[in-house]
Amino acid sequence: MAARTLQVRCATWDQVEVFTTRKLRKGKLLSMKVPFSTRVGSTLTIGLELPSALVIPIEGVVQRIAPVEVDGKPDPNRTWIEIELTGFNDDIKQRIRAARDDDPDTGVKVAPPAPERRSTQMAAQTDLPNDERELFQHLTAELRRMRQATVHDVLGVPRDAGPEVVRMSWKDLIRKHHPDLVARRHAPAITHLAEELTILANRAYDRMRGALAAEGRAALAGSSVAPPPGWLVAFEDMQSGEGQPAPKRGPNKFERPATPPPPPIKPIPASAMAGQGSDAFESRARAMLAHGDPNTAREVLAAALVVYPRSKPLRSLYYVATALAAMQQGEVMLATAQLETALAHHDQCVEAAKMLEHIRRYGARDPDAMRRLFR
Amino acid sequence: MKPGRAVGIDLGTTNSVVALIDRDGAPRILTTKEGSTMLPSLVWFSPHGPVVGERAREGLEQSPEMTVFGAKRLLGRRFDHPEVRKLARVLPYMLTEAPNGDTWIQLGNSRAVSPEEVSALILRELKHTAERFLKETVTRAVITVPAWYDAAQRQATKDAAQIAGLQIMRLLSEPTAAALGHGAHRGADRRYLVCDLGGGTFDVAAVDVEAGVFEVLATTGDPFLGGDDIDRVIVDNLARDVRNSRGIDVATDPAALDKLRIAAQRAKHELSEHASAKIDVPDLGELPSGKPLVYARTLRRDELELWASPLVRRLEPPVKEAMRRCGRKREDIEEVLLVGGMTRMPAVRKELARVTGREPSVIANPEEVVAIGAALAVARLDGAIEGVLLIDVAARGLMISRQEQDCELVIAQNAVIPTREHKLLPTRHDDQARVEFDLWEGESPDPSVNRHLGRYAVVDLPQAPAGDVLVLVEVTLDTDGVIRLGASEMVSGDRVQIDQVYHAGLARSEVVRLARQLAGAT
Repeated sequence: MAARTLQVRCATWDQVEVFTTRKLRKGKLLSMKVPFSTRVGSTLTIGLELPSALVIPIEGVVQRIAPVEVDGKPDPNRTWIEIELTGFNDDIKQRIRAARDDDPDTGVKVAPPAPERRSTQMAAQTDLPNDERELFQHLTAELRRMRQATVHDVLGVPRDAGPEVVRMSWKDLIRKHHPDLVARRHAPAITHLAEELTILANRAYDRMRGALAAEGRAALAGSSVAPPPGWLVAFEDMQSGEGQPAPKRGPNKFERPATPPPPPIKPIPASAMAGQGSDAFESRARAMLAHGDPNTAREVLAAALVVYPRSKPLRSLYYVATALAAMQQGEVMLATAQLETALAHHDQCVEAAKMLEHIRRYGARDPDAMRRLFR
Repeated sequence: MKPGRAVGIDLGTTNSVVALIDRDGAPRILTTKEGSTMLPSLVWFSPHGPVVGERAREGLEQSPEMTVFGAKRLLGRRFDHPEVRKLARVLPYMLTEAPNGDTWIQLGNSRAVSPEEVSALILRELKHTAERFLKETVTRAVITVPAWYDAAQRQATKDAAQIAGLQIMRLLSEPTAAALGHGAHRGADRRYLVCDLGGGTFDVAAVDVEAGVFEVLATTGDPFLGGDDIDRVIVDNLARDVRNSRGIDVATDPAALDKLRIAAQRAKHELSEHASAKIDVPDLGELPSGKPLVYARTLRRDELELWASPLVRRLEPPVKEAMRRCGRKREDIEEVLLVGGMTRMPAVRKELARVTGREPSVIANPEEVVAIGAALAVARLDGAIEGVLLIDVAARGLMISRQEQDCELVIAQNAVIPTREHKLLPTRHDDQARVEFDLWEGESPDPSVNRHLGRYAVVDLPQAPAGDVLVLVEVTLDTDGVIRLGASEMVSGDRVQIDQVYHAGLARSEVVRLARQLAGAT
């Protein structure tokens, strides 16, 4: 894994001063909470961004880690770490001083006046720089990053995030980037960038909530995504008649969610019911895919999903089958989207990953190569 | 360049309101020349030029076929739309089909105007109202539209504003504006149900306010239920009463009916406050003896409620449907907002309280709250208010089809806007230089069910074997819910030009021409 970079932005020289003197313990120990997990001894790079837009990389090594506790339980997404900035030597200090002396604005208070806030709820938007040029650069960089990110990374949520998490992250994102927030500047370029960022955020949100609804993990209404009103019952959830009685579950257990999963529910072909368990469906579908018959495989999988609505392998295979069908029609773009969806549902889906790799490397000229994956 | 002043406009089916936020932060409704806070959305194309608002009522009597009301219902609609067909039967003015299938209004034999132009005249009058008050030019506005307005209708509203010389800062959905005008951005998080019973339409919307973010979750409504229908019921009953008591049939006399309508309206307003109201029409018609026919009687509230009860009963289904669509039960709704003048009527309030199972909030000015919300949105966009974000969704899905093929979904219904999706169109013949495609609004693969928005052609493609040229069409729904199209050629990555073969709504050049014409007329 490549070394991570942590960007530390200092808008004023005062902040640089604070960072180099007061934030560091013993001159080179920095502790913080980070949204990823890491190991003791791994290297991290601190990118110290000076007010003159110069970024100075400082090498560091993780010395201690500890889980962040929320309500007594460790938060899996956040870790407390202590870094020793091994690279923070006299040379670096000299460079910071030199940059400070070169900056014509030194001494002048460039700190933007704290914007008056009526509501404390909208904290995210005030993170944005106030200077127009700086804001433009900030948004451009953000846009470049988000264009290359997967939907999960755009929203900054784990792959198996639930509806509440997805919704909250999306809200935080649009609260930061919505074009209405920069409308007062009357700068078309900035409004355009903000709109592009919002488009990316909205698309990621739409994709993720669509995936959640398809899995039966969420109910959609308008722009919202909410936990489904009840637990989606699957065959695998139910105990068989003999043996112990089924454990008691809440009354909600037998409610269907408000939105049925989108795969078309067709009458289950008798042949598909021959096997037993989701594995039988899966192997049958795989055989059909290897045979070059994605459409039938799709039907079988759609039928299987009625029985096993939460089976991730089946659902990802359904999207793979859709992708293969699309590829036979020459719809490469659609196929790529379907494969990405398959991965969004089940990141262990080897076929989807391999096919995507194949398309990216060779294009979609050779559908037979795809078929061979299933042999 | 310093931008001009901005106002919030509620462009209604029957009445329009313009509002702004004073320098001290208080919302203010601007009054028309006649001293009313509401401008009737009425344009009379008189022989001396168009007359807008209260003075155009004269036109309803003199030349009903030249007086346009309810243009909002025609805006951005196709001539063969079922609702337009229904309207064409009852409207006193003629509707006609524009060459591109839009609905236009035929004025006499010589001239047809687009609903955009009619709306532009109303918007210009509102602009002048604001300019009279501010003594400054007004160049920008936030205009409210129903939440169910689709992309074509939003584009038409935008065009109307451009013709009127107003730059649209944002198109705002009416329920959101109502919740904002009610002050939802100051209060705690709430789940609102907004019931808007105006002059001509009944709209229900579930609006969530969470940490300053406003979202419309579901909208339904009855496009043919409003105050005008109640007026009509009263007039019908009064006319029957005249026939029974005086033996004179006034039902065929438009002038008499108009007098009855004005009396009925006054009585209706009075009955919202009092248990009975006097109706007094001194010159309803002429008796055979030549004396004027004097008609006077008292109308009791229970009489009115009896007459209106078939209409009031129609309030329930849309409310239930709205709750069903957002998966809510009656208990989940935390506040019911009543918007629109007709919700002053006690019977309407009672019925909505019964249906929603919750006593509605009392809004002092149900006619004006939407305009105030629009004015607050202006202040929000200018940065005077912080912590509010208004989210909108695509009212209908967008689909693309190629010749003689099924439509394929590009942007799904309820996608949060702004959003963008793309579609790849490969060439089918060797050296094909031109790829045509159609854009539809709807969710069905069958083109005949969807609304055709336009046919476009990508031209000047490079010469290559069939399928080697891939045209990537990007469909963007912007923050206002208006469509933008872009295309590029995948292999080279070059942008390519899109030609409009056919396009719903006014052409860009036409909008510019009309705007110039209207600006020159003043």
